[in-house]
Amino acid sequence: MEKCEYGLDKEGLTVDLGNFRLDNITLKVPRGCITGLIGRNGAGKTTLIKTIMRLNAACAGRILYEGLYFPEHEEEVLNKIACVFDSPVYGKNARPKQIVKYYRRAYKNFDEEKYNALMARFSLPHDLKLSRYSFGMNKKYCLILALCQGADILLLDEPTAGIDPFDRSAVVELIQEFMQSENHTVLFSTHITEDLDRIADYIAMIDGGKLKFMEEKDELLNSYRLVQVSAITDEVRAVAMGIKSTPFGVTFLCKAEDVPEGASTKIPTVEELFVALTEQGVAAAPDGNPFGM
Amino acid sequence: MKIILSGPADRPIYERLKNGIKAQIVSGELSAGSMLPSIRVAAKELGVGIITVKRAYDDLCGEGYLYAEQGRGVFVSNAGSAALAQKNLQEFADKMLALKQVATALNITPEQAEKIFREIWRKD
Repeated sequence: MEKCEYGLDKEGLTVDLGNFRLDNITLKVPRGCITGLIGRNGAGKTTLIKTIMRLNAACAGRILYEGLYFPEHEEEVLNKIACVFDSPVYGKNARPKQIVKYYRRAYKNFDEEKYNALMARFSLPHDLKLSRYSFGMNKKYCLILALCQGADILLLDEPTAGIDPFDRSAVVELIQEFMQSENHTVLFSTHITEDLDRIADYIAMIDGGKLKFMEEKDELLNSYRLVQVSAITDEVRAVAMGIKSTPFGVTFLCKAEDVPEGASTKIPTVEELFVALTEQGVAAAPDGNPFGM
Repeated sequence: MKIILSGPADRPIYERLKNGIKAQIVSGELSAGSMLPSIRVAAKELGVGIITVKRAYDDLCGEGYLYAEQGRGVFVSNAGSAALAQKNLQEFADKMLALKQVATALNITPEQAEKIFREIWRKD
């Protein structure tokens, strides 16, 4: 990107929650870009986001925000990061007009004008209890609160999980509006929805608490092909991942340079890549490093 | 201006964006000197990544269709449109040459080939 500084830099982050462990994750989230975090349920996505927000204590490693280390500069850093968790953190009986009072006090940069404009734009009533909000309205409301905190970094845990395509496109729109500033950075975990994946600049995949890769999305997708052939040979089997046989032939994923001659191919979507790599058992790769990193 | 994607949906988005911009340059919709939307605005309008748009713009600058002015923006170059129209014709002629060889091998006359071509065009 224009700048190569990192908005958020997690060095060798290790979190141990007893039955679950994030293992020595080093993830550099580039400033001015959108990074999508993919992984199966239980892979560690939410744990990673909660750890960045210091809801889980890391037992090793540090989080660096533009040169400021997290534990030492907690207040400055937390003022720069806004987070939307996957489950609502407000009581069901709370009403937006009460919640916003708290936000006004808690965040010195809270942008009330923007807040009111966004509430009006998405027709969210100020005096309705959140229990009367639909699921999609709740998601949009949490995102609006985060966007109005005046933060530079936005962390989103599954921002579009469980909401309909109409609300999903509103979420995508809000994220892209936030990204109009070069100093803004977004890290979201995703349940693999195409509209959300389309706007990501980088894709990071975690599996079993380990970071499998973090790559620029276009380059990552372009280095693989989804191939369809009528029958598979042993040679092809050696390079194929996520092989699926149907009555009409065989489809699989392989590196672009391994495509068998004459096969019909297409560039995979994030979802197709994710499914094939997961089926292939990325975690079980012998050298633990199937991506040449 | 309107930004468009052009080309098969299974091609990379930056490639389709490049094609879309080229098509608009050739058609004159984007005239020499006109400014393109900023990378971030274009990404938002198209619902795609920022790096995707940057790559398309960078490629087109490298190929001479666009030029970037530090701090001002990205513009359509003078040479771009004429050169592109010429290049497109040449590219098409090359493809037709390959098809002619196929036709010869299959004993298809120029008249038959033309008929098929027009028929395809009509159906499209």
